[in-house]
Amino acid sequence: MAAPGRPDFPELVSRYGRELYVYLWRMLWNEQDAEDCLQEAFLRAYRAHPRMDGSANFRAWLYRIAGNMARTQLKRRQRRDGREIELADEALALQPAGGMDDGLERGERLQAVRAAVRRLPAKQQQSLILRKYQGLSYAEIGAALRCSPESARANVYQALKRLRAELGAVRQT
Amino acid sequence: MKKHGYDVAKQAANWLGDAGETGSPPADPLLKDLDALFAVAPGEARVEQVLANLQARMRQEHPVLYYDELTSSPVGPISVALSEAGLVAVEFGQAETEFLKHLQRSHRAVTVRSPERVALVLRQLAEYFAGGRQSFDIPVDLSHSTRFQQQVLRAAARVPRGGLATYAEIARHIGKPRASRAVGQALARNPVPIVIPCHRVVAADGALRGYSGRGGIRTKAQLLVLEGVSTYRTALS
Repeated sequence: MAAPGRPDFPELVSRYGRELYVYLWRMLWNEQDAEDCLQEAFLRAYRAHPRMDGSANFRAWLYRIAGNMARTQLKRRQRRDGREIELADEALALQPAGGMDDGLERGERLQAVRAAVRRLPAKQQQSLILRKYQGLSYAEIGAALRCSPESARANVYQALKRLRAELGAVRQT
Repeated sequence: MKKHGYDVAKQAANWLGDAGETGSPPADPLLKDLDALFAVAPGEARVEQVLANLQARMRQEHPVLYYDELTSSPVGPISVALSEAGLVAVEFGQAETEFLKHLQRSHRAVTVRSPERVALVLRQLAEYFAGGRQSFDIPVDLSHSTRFQQQVLRAAARVPRGGLATYAEIARHIGKPRASRAVGQALARNPVPIVIPCHRVVAADGALRGYSGRGGIRTKAQLLVLEGVSTYRTALS
């Protein structure tokens, strides 16, 4: 007899919690916001899909919810004044600095890159992070962003193209 | 404005392919900068803390309840559920799906069938019905009952097998002598009948006024007969 009931959440948390937290952290650049979104994402996924087993679908489903929450959080944050910039500084302080001038220049450049990443269309930004830093396959990204694997791949490609165009163009000004 | 000098013409790197990262460090300055921004992660201690907080929050919002059933007893099948703190539910003659729906609704719980965890309760119930067990030695979790209900239920738990108490006696016992009617209502919401023997509480005239378990007064009488109660005398004083 199939036992009704939900999957064991301690199991789900230990299986997916870590990578999702890092994903949210990469999207939000803020530990507290990432933690809040992580909790909300798990609770929502859990309530919405009580019978979901611990399959690849559940992983993509969690990524989808987490991504949506991160985007909402970013919009909310953008409405507040200047916090975005403050956070960027905080994050860049983590980077190892070279020489004084070197570090300063690099910091500025990274900040510009980050701002450019932030300006990417949401799907491009998420596809880039999911593929390159979260190690998801294009099929998984497609499931997480509700698009085909081909379109997930195109999004990563477009993201890079756009970043190059935007950041390269600065040189000409 | 700062100059970055990324090559616009440069095409996507190897990792764009499905083969994933190829292992060679990116010579492309854009990829190097992206790595500096994104290939970092919060410290391990922080991650562990976040995951522990998440587990705690999940447990709080969706407590895990372990359940199983005694397939046959004089009053029909009995389903029981335990939280980490103790017994939370005893139900007679309910189908499993109905029982689980009740638990998920009333406790917003995650339900896990666990004959191992519930074995002690089922064994004591079987011993009770066989006539050998005088009282239950099981922690009870009444956290879903109000403070007043808890007082009433704990008082009712003191009535021994073979004995009886009246609603008024329970009311007096908890220091609220005028609350007999409220005592009756609290007992009607007993989440763990039999283990907390609300069937041993009767009206002042000895009448069986109501019973929270399936089967109502008939079951109440059945349990009292099983316990050998022939004359209604009170036992709580």
